Amino acid sequence: MAAGMLGLCGRRLLAVAATRGLPAARVRWESGSSRAVIAPSTLAGKRPLEPTIRWQEDPDPEDENLYEKNPDSHGYDKDPAVDVWNMRVVFFFGFSIVLVLGSTFVAYLPDYRMQEWARREAERLVKYREAHGLPIMESNCFDPSKIQLPEDED
Amino acid sequence: MLKYIIPTVMLMPLTWLSKGNMIWINSTTHSLLISLTSLLLMNQFSDNSLNFSLVFFSDSLSTPLLILTMWLLPLMLMASQHHLSKESLTRKKLYITMLILLQLFLIMTFTAMELIFFYILFEATLVPTLIIITRWGNQTERLNAGLYFLFYTLAGSLPLLVALVYLQNITGSLNFLILQYWVQPLSNSWSNVFMWLACMMAFMVKMPLYGLHLWLPKAHVEAPIAGSMVLAAILLKLGGYGMLRVTMFLNPLTEFMAYPFIMLSLWGMIMTSSICLRQTDLKSLIAYSSVSHMALVIVAILIQTPWSYMGATALMIAHGLTSSMLFCLANSNYERIHSRTMILARGLQTFLPLMATWWLLASLTNLALPPTINLIGELFVVMSTFSWSNITIILMGLNMVITALYSLYMLITTQRGKYTHHINNISPSFTRENAIMSLHILPLLLLSLNPKIILGPLY
Repeated sequence: MAAGMLGLCGRRLLAVAATRGLPAARVRWESGSSRAVIAPSTLAGKRPLEPTIRWQEDPDPEDENLYEKNPDSHGYDKDPAVDVWNMRVVFFFGFSIVLVLGSTFVAYLPDYRMQEWARREAERLVKYREAHGLPIMESNCFDPSKIQLPEDED
Repeated sequence: MLKYIIPTVMLMPLTWLSKGNMIWINSTTHSLLISLTSLLLMNQFSDNSLNFSLVFFSDSLSTPLLILTMWLLPLMLMASQHHLSKESLTRKKLYITMLILLQLFLIMTFTAMELIFFYILFEATLVPTLIIITRWGNQTERLNAGLYFLFYTLAGSLPLLVALVYLQNITGSLNFLILQYWVQPLSNSWSNVFMWLACMMAFMVKMPLYGLHLWLPKAHVEAPIAGSMVLAAILLKLGGYGMLRVTMFLNPLTEFMAYPFIMLSLWGMIMTSSICLRQTDLKSLIAYSSVSHMALVIVAILIQTPWSYMGATALMIAHGLTSSMLFCLANSNYERIHSRTMILARGLQTFLPLMATWWLLASLTNLALPPTINLIGELFVVMSTFSWSNITIILMGLNMVITALYSLYMLITTQRGKYTHHINNISPSFTRENAIMSLHILPLLLLSLNPKIILGPLY
């Protein structure tokens, strides 16, 4: 059906070309994603190259390409000087100061949450208790003589 | 604490008094410097918290969240520069002011010592976020999204206010320093059950829990990029942070009260991951993936074991960075083709190879690739839920598989394959976009080298 319709459009276009004396297209277009082929006899140079129907959800006709006016644009601003400074500021403060100095700071934190101290203290206590014949650990967390239980109610 | 609050407050006059072409440079510079000072919070003691005053404190749970908050502000500013370039100067300054105000409220929320102070700031964070979503969102659905966002959170948190006022009457003070010594086991009465529900529902809505998550896809999708970033990275974690604080004094009710929510989260994480596989809208996919990851955090917090708390904290930080990065990537697509539909701009790897690298890294961290902190968090949660109940490993394993599936689906649809013929006029990646992506992924990768700082207070 599509081929038949193409043929119909092609015949009408050729008719138009014939009556108005326009040259037929010399370009043969082959689709990359399907097997459609537009041969010169049907195209007649009238079909636009890109779809112009609105396929965008939120079209912005004032879409400006920052690279047009400023091919070295970094994407921050239209003014090239502000653009370059913004890029420098982001890279200097973001990477060189915060990431580098910050990760150095975090890497050299002294004994975060006292974990290494806890290990050393445990080893020291174990060594002391083994040397003095004391049990390494007591099974009671709190001293049982200090716990006051409520009286039994019968 | 004033060393964070005063610079953040002063960012606002800085924005308003700067010249028109310097507002972004000034605010980005100074917010980066504030994020550097946030690292001073790392001076944490072993089992106590770093108490600045009777009003503010920070412990190993709030420190990584605070550093993430303060790191995210410059990233939000950089991400918003393009879509605000057409607005008037006053509007730009208003937008930046909203972001700074949100940052200020978040800093104070995470460091609040007293629970009613925390509540007031928790609610206060809603206002700038609502303004950002409804004023600067792109489609007309943003009004509905703002409504859902505001009223879901308000309805959930009003019972919390009642419960906190009741607790203040009973205990005399809601200060954390005092509260941790007041903690007594709660008896199993109906009023205590309702108090448990009142305390937890606000944070369940914020996380969000699977049944109460309807506001999230709307709000995330309709928000502008900075709104999406801060919502996904920080505001969801407010819920997790609140739950971690509030469960401290709700024992032993949590043991049986948590069951319906654990079931909802376990089922919900699989459902939302599966929904991700059926999404056509890129931002909606990332939003549902946030729900799925947060469901893991809810399960971890509710089963209350040391490993699950470590996993929850690690997952919150990891997801914050990953999800924010994914929203930035989706926004870089949106700014070029003005559409959120995934298949409209596919095969982008051919046109934007460096951006494809960031897409790859973000998708890999999203699917919890070892040795990133995403995997550490998920692994701890999976192991602790397995010890809580053996059957959960089937659900968790299934969730990890589906997470991998939709992350790779998102990557392959946008990056691989043959490009469409109508996107041959997209502009190449800007340095700004590459800088944002690397500033997201580098902390994530650096944290994989030293994860102990994000493992929370039970490490």
